[in-house]
Amino acid sequence: MRRGEWNRRMTPFDPAVGLLTALALRTGIIAVTLLAWRRSSVARSVAFLGSTIASVMTGLTAATVLRASSSVHGVLLMHRASGFSLSYTVDGLSAWFLIVLSVVAVPIALFSIGYVGHPHFARRSAFVGIVFNVLVGAVELVFAAADAITFLFAWELMTLTTAALVATEHEERVNRRAAYQYLVMSHVGTGCLMAGFLILAAASGSVSFSALLAGDLVSAPARDALFALFFLGFGVKAGVIPLHVWLPEAHPAAPTSISALMSGVLIKAGIYGLVRVCAFGLGTPRLSWGVFVVASGGLSAVLGVLYALMQHDLKRLLAYHSIENIGIILLGLGAGMMSLAYGRRDVASIGIVASLYHVLNHAVFKGLLFLGAGGVVMATGTRQIEQFGGLLRRMPWTGLFFLVGAMAISGLPPLNGFASEWLTFQAFLFGFRSSAEPLVHLLFPIGGALLALTTALAAACFVKAFGISFLALPRSRAAADAQESPAVMLVPQAFLAALCVGLGLFPGVVVRVLGGAMATLPGLQPQAAIAADSLGLALGLGSFDHVAPVVLGAAMLGGFAVATWVTMRAGAVVRRVPTWGCGGELTARTEYTATAFSKPLMMIFRAVYRPTREVEALAEVSPYFPREVRYRAEIEPTFERYVYGPLLRAVLRMAEGMKVLQAGSLHTYLAYVIVLVVTLVLMVWWRG
Amino acid sequence: MTLMIHDALAATIMALLQTAGLLAAAPLLRAAIKKMKARLQNRQGPPLRQGYYDLAKLLRKEPIRSETASWVYVAGPRVYFAAAVAATTLVPVLFAAAPLEAAGGILLLVGTLALGRFALATAALDTGSPFGGMGASRDMTIAALAEPALMLGLFTSALAAGSLNLGALVRSVLQRGPSFHPSDLLAFAGLFIIVIAETGRIPVDNPATHLELTMIHEAMVLEYAGPDLALVEWTSALKELLYLTLLVDLFIPVGIATSAAPGAILVSLLAWAGKVFMLAIAVTLAESTNAKLRLFRVPELVSVSLGLAFLALAIRFL
Repeated sequence: MRRGEWNRRMTPFDPAVGLLTALALRTGIIAVTLLAWRRSSVARSVAFLGSTIASVMTGLTAATVLRASSSVHGVLLMHRASGFSLSYTVDGLSAWFLIVLSVVAVPIALFSIGYVGHPHFARRSAFVGIVFNVLVGAVELVFAAADAITFLFAWELMTLTTAALVATEHEERVNRRAAYQYLVMSHVGTGCLMAGFLILAAASGSVSFSALLAGDLVSAPARDALFALFFLGFGVKAGVIPLHVWLPEAHPAAPTSISALMSGVLIKAGIYGLVRVCAFGLGTPRLSWGVFVVASGGLSAVLGVLYALMQHDLKRLLAYHSIENIGIILLGLGAGMMSLAYGRRDVASIGIVASLYHVLNHAVFKGLLFLGAGGVVMATGTRQIEQFGGLLRRMPWTGLFFLVGAMAISGLPPLNGFASEWLTFQAFLFGFRSSAEPLVHLLFPIGGALLALTTALAAACFVKAFGISFLALPRSRAAADAQESPAVMLVPQAFLAALCVGLGLFPGVVVRVLGGAMATLPGLQPQAAIAADSLGLALGLGSFDHVAPVVLGAAMLGGFAVATWVTMRAGAVVRRVPTWGCGGELTARTEYTATAFSKPLMMIFRAVYRPTREVEALAEVSPYFPREVRYRAEIEPTFERYVYGPLLRAVLRMAEGMKVLQAGSLHTYLAYVIVLVVTLVLMVWWRG
Repeated sequence: MTLMIHDALAATIMALLQTAGLLAAAPLLRAAIKKMKARLQNRQGPPLRQGYYDLAKLLRKEPIRSETASWVYVAGPRVYFAAAVAATTLVPVLFAAAPLEAAGGILLLVGTLALGRFALATAALDTGSPFGGMGASRDMTIAALAEPALMLGLFTSALAAGSLNLGALVRSVLQRGPSFHPSDLLAFAGLFIIVIAETGRIPVDNPATHLELTMIHEAMVLEYAGPDLALVEWTSALKELLYLTLLVDLFIPVGIATSAAPGAILVSLLAWAGKVFMLAIAVTLAESTNAKLRLFRVPELVSVSLGLAFLALAIRFL
């Protein structure tokens, strides 16, 4: 065998056709699944195994593109007569997001084989399988679209399929409402995007991204307006506060494997848009944009985690953490944009690298946590943390993987959350050192302090989420009878947990891969700021800081070994005794609850939560010996009540007013048509 | 390559020696504070050796664990210990370089300590005792509030020195020579409050109490006994020494050895011990002259610290 031939054989495929093949494969899968509609186990296997293969192909395409620092172009559809075409490009940035998608979509698809096989969903296997494939295909196309038409088409497909999946269990009113709310808010966002792209298209005379996003197409005030439009459009999808209200409703409503995809990747489509358009597509960002992105990132991060702390529904809690992590991603991105505005391209790269790294990390640990939550919810039949307890004994593997995810999302070294948060801190410190304007200057350390607060609060929240759910005694019958998930659901979690460790131990490798993505963003200089080798990362500019988590990991292993040696002596037998129950019997009712755990923070941040609490004691003999005490605490849904409430009422009032126009009389409608025609004729005449 | 292995070996030996030394000294610090506090209250107080006696006694005891608890309960103190040990290798003590300086700087240090706290707080929930939950909840709450103030305080020093790496930071301060900037005072005051909060001293927490309504750290570790408890106590002592050393490094690194000459090391050792002792006196005075704050007053104290750190940053760089 000649060497060249061998090489060609070993290359899995030509990256130029990888994406198209994956899309074609998905179409085939959908057709087969439709044929097997009634045989749910066949439909399930075909749909999800097929999706795994397609995702692997996409991932390989993206990896090839990143390694070769090249890009792949192609045409999906072409109408020769008009010259209209739908086209795609996989460049570095697209490739990075496609990798993020594939890394999470593969384990989620595998998990779904087990999860959707549960009797609860079995009837809908084929439906979920088909829509899942459409959705993943649509997201791939969003990341790869090369023109505004393809992008908006894929974007809309993504929105519609997500809404369909949110409404999978449409018998329940909450789920229908969540899907509807998601649709309405997404479409307001899509409307903004459409307006933005149309303005750009009118200015450039083309719909291809290379022309639209060349920057400096429009004047300065129009640029600001465009930034606002795109930020609104992409911000809704990303779940930036205050555009987030759909997220905590829609993410928990969907089947959990879909929630994992939504939280892991779908909201990143918004981030992709913000990076591609707002940060690098409208010319050099203005300082005010960067300030705005940092401010909304800080708000989303802190409020997201604060609201998460008060959630005792596991899936809602995770959904609020997605808002928090979007905030962290925006903090990095905003710091980068501010530095770009200052003209410090090297410093800006740190912020951009930090946010793109966190995109991957969040996808991995949030995917992991949602899959774990899916297993728990399936095993217990409830989402309420207060009903769990003691699950670690019954579901040891799920518990272990969930713990890894919890530590990663809390930003603890040497796991992956720490690595990207470390980079985000660096972005703020370098931004501080390199900026000149005195007041804006101080925004950087404030951003750093907000990030520190967010991380520490997230740690508190996950001590609660893991500790109350998995440790101590079971708090309900359902938790006591829980069964471990099948292997097909555990292996994907093991894979993601391993990634949490690997991506944290070797940040240098990740940043080097990211270099390929950075190369496609105009005017960044990551090499000038970040030196990455396989052991760790060093930030240049006078050896400011470096990190090598592997070294720390080794030190900790050593410390752990010493600790084990000190506490374990040969021959000593551990005596097991009941926990002291303060003189009474220790039952699950005496355990600390999630509500109690987060109460100090509720009291401290009562200005944010504005809680209403009710304590009701039912006494029989004396008020000092109540037979029953009822405690109810509720936090005020500030945004829903004070932002969306008035907005909704205003819209309804307007609709009420517009009823006059639609009176139901044919004569009136004919009159409208005549008035319109006359106006148009007059306009043409006047113009001509 | 040989040079790299040589470096790695040297770093490992230095890390081992420094960690062993700090682990050996840690119980003495706690005992010294206890003794000084007793003297201030006109009591005799336990002898300085008492810290070691307590540890030895606990380590020899029969290991007892709750039957409700899982492996998390066992792993908790060990991870707490491992994290604190790893954190000490990032801090310069006698030399103007941290043993594992290659691993990272201040951010990694704070992250590593957070890992230990996370492990212990999680383990506290494992026995099902309400005290564990109460302690874990309060400890994580205070830590969350303290974190931004700690970071801002550290940033001020780090940005002034031009490095986030503690070794490089100390060297840069030494190179600049004795200098005083009013922001140092503010940053020091802010960080001192945080150190009090993080080490569980009055006015934030009372290490000597077992009254259920006021305990924080003690409630968290209430169920631990025997060797497990020894590990927790030892680690807490080590953490306290580590925080005081960190303050010394950041604000008064004078006297620290820049070469391996025996004389320099001796001077450095004496200087370090003296400075840590001065800080211990300050901690004792703070503990003896204040009353413990209610839990819901702690945020006010911490926000004072946050304000000080921010002011320090502002007057330094505006």
